[in-house]
Order: sequence, then structure tokens, then C-alpha cells
Amino acid sequence: MVEWAKEGVEQVLLVVLGSYAEIDLLDLIRFHSEGQRQVTKVFDQQGPLGISLLDRGCILVNREQVSQNGDLPSARYDFLGYVVRLSSSSNYRRLVEDALEGRCGIQPSGSQTRKSVWIDETAQVDASAQIQAPCYIGPATKIKAGVVIRGCSSVERNCEIDLGTSLDHTSIQPNTYIAPGLCFRESVVDGTKLEHLARGVTVDLGTAGLCARIGTQARHAHRSPKLARVSELARPDAEAG
Amino acid sequence: MTNTPPMTVKRLPEPCDNASCRLFLRDIKGFVDNSHRPRLIVDLSAVEQISPESIDLLLECVGHVEHGDGEVSVAGASPKTSVILEITQAASVLNAFPSVLEAANGCQLRDFESWKPGYPGDRAA
Repeated sequence: MVEWAKEGVEQVLLVVLGSYAEIDLLDLIRFHSEGQRQVTKVFDQQGPLGISLLDRGCILVNREQVSQNGDLPSARYDFLGYVVRLSSSSNYRRLVEDALEGRCGIQPSGSQTRKSVWIDETAQVDASAQIQAPCYIGPATKIKAGVVIRGCSSVERNCEIDLGTSLDHTSIQPNTYIAPGLCFRESVVDGTKLEHLARGVTVDLGTAGLCARIGTQARHAHRSPKLARVSELARPDAEAG
Repeated sequence: MTNTPPMTVKRLPEPCDNASCRLFLRDIKGFVDNSHRPRLIVDLSAVEQISPESIDLLLECVGHVEHGDGEVSVAGASPKTSVILEITQAASVLNAFPSVLEAANGCQLRDFESWKPGYPGDRAA
């Protein structure tokens, strides 16, 4: 930033990643310009969002002077619009659901094959898969036969969801393989790591061969054919544990 | 006199290798063959995270017990094991209880104190 300031950059927008906020940047710049401070920090009702607008002068200020006096005085810009702090998987799921339901400004990529169903043109979706709106399927992802995707679920890029697996209120992060015949609900899966949001439990499914990071040799390693018997044995009146 | 279904409580073999699984299943078959509507409770309280081999074994048990018109319950599953039972859908063919005692009560066993072990490894709830 100092180099940029020395080269003549007048203002720097500093965004510390950690939240999604639909800030009107022009309004922020206007607010900053009208104020008397060299720094403007953005706050929402929960506190600072890690977004600051800095003037060139404060970047070039003598560093020793700053360290003696602490932070430079700053203006406070109160933001009342859409914000999600991405500090937990629950918040990430909230953002995904808001995007798919149209409650925030995120527009999923890919073509909308029907209302609220976004499927990237490079994704391969078997004709027998059941895709219930709203949902998102990313680039280069394979959805195999009999897969069921519902409940604002998202499958990011370069994933493979194997035969008959179902996803309900679940997000699959990029480069993840999911074995056949599984049933996920209210979860976020990233490679071999599953975070079950409803139960508040994180499980590594890699050793069981139920999930894998695509590109690793563990894929398909331990999946037991006997597990497929569950559907034959399943009783309609049985209650899940 | 109350007719109560026969019940047995088992722990999964550890390690879950072929030999111990065969022995375990032989016990279960013996129990099922000599019982009417048997109730099998599998105590998972010592299992941190259930393995695929153990899930296979549980499913084998379900198959045998259902042939005898009985039920299989699991008790004391850890949170991680519960998640794995859920995503593999094994939970859909098992009755899950927080503890062996609650599983026994859930099996509507009225006088389990009078139950006598019939097979090695059996223990009253």
C-alpha cells in the first residue's frame, strides 16, 4: 500500500476477507470524502466488518508516529444492508440459501435451466437425477444416476456425486467426491471433512471411503457394497436415530 | 404372566476382522434361531467412530434379526458414529437410543431382570 501511495494512488479500499457485505462503494466513497478523517471504517450492528477506506496521507504518515499514538482517528460508516459474516459453516449455508432464494445480490453462475435451478454448462447431470429448485451445480461437476438434490443445496466446481446419493440443505465444496448411496442433510462437505450443522459435529469420512478430495487415491477405496443393502432393508416407518 | 421378547445386549467385536465378525454373527444367529421376535441391542458406547466394516456387521445383524421378526437397536452411539449411521442410512433400519437402559425400555422389556444369559458375551441391560 505504501508503494501504491508513493506512486500517487489517492485512496485505498482495504477489505479483510471474512464477511460478505453488499456495500454501495460509491456511497462509502462519498461519505468518506464529505468527512474530515483520513480513515473510514465500515460497521454493521455487530461491529466492524473489516472494510476500511484509507487516504493516501494516512498511508504515508510516519510509522513511528502512528505506533506511539495508536490507530489514526477514523470515521464510522454504519451499514444497514445485507451482511453475512463467514465465520462458520452455518453462516456459509445461510449465504448459499439466501443467494439461491434471491434474498441477496449474489447471482449464481451458470445457466438457469428452470426457475431457481442453476447448472453450469460444463456440468454433467444424469437424466435420472432429481434436481429440485432452488439449487446450484457448478462447472465440471458430475451428478450420477439416481442422485437427489434438494433444499437449497449447492455442489461447487469439479465435484462428483455418485449413484443414488441424496443432498438436502447441503453444500459440497469444490473438488469433492461423494460415494454412492449416501444421504446428507444440513451439512457442508469439503473433501473428506463433513460438518453436520444440525448435530454440530465434524467428522472425517476419508478413512471410511465415503468422501474424498478429487485427485487423491483414496477415492472409492473402502466403500462397502453391503451398505447398498440398507435401502432394501429400510422400513418406511423406521425413525432415523 | 407377561410375555416379554427375548433380548440380548452385545458390543461390536474389536477389532472388526473376519474371524471376530464370523463369531459375532454365529452368536446372533443362535440367539435369533432360538427366539421369537428377538430384540438385539448393540452397545456402541465404546466406539468413537464406527468403521464401514462395523456398519456392514450391523446390517448383517439386521438381516438375521428381521428374519426372526425381531428388531435391532443401537445404544450409546457417539456423535460421530450417529452422523455416519445417518449418512449411510443405516439409521433407517436401526432403532437408536442414548443408552442401553433406554434401549431396553424402548424394547418394552418389562422384566429384563429375570432374563438369563444364553450365549457367551451376553449381559443383562
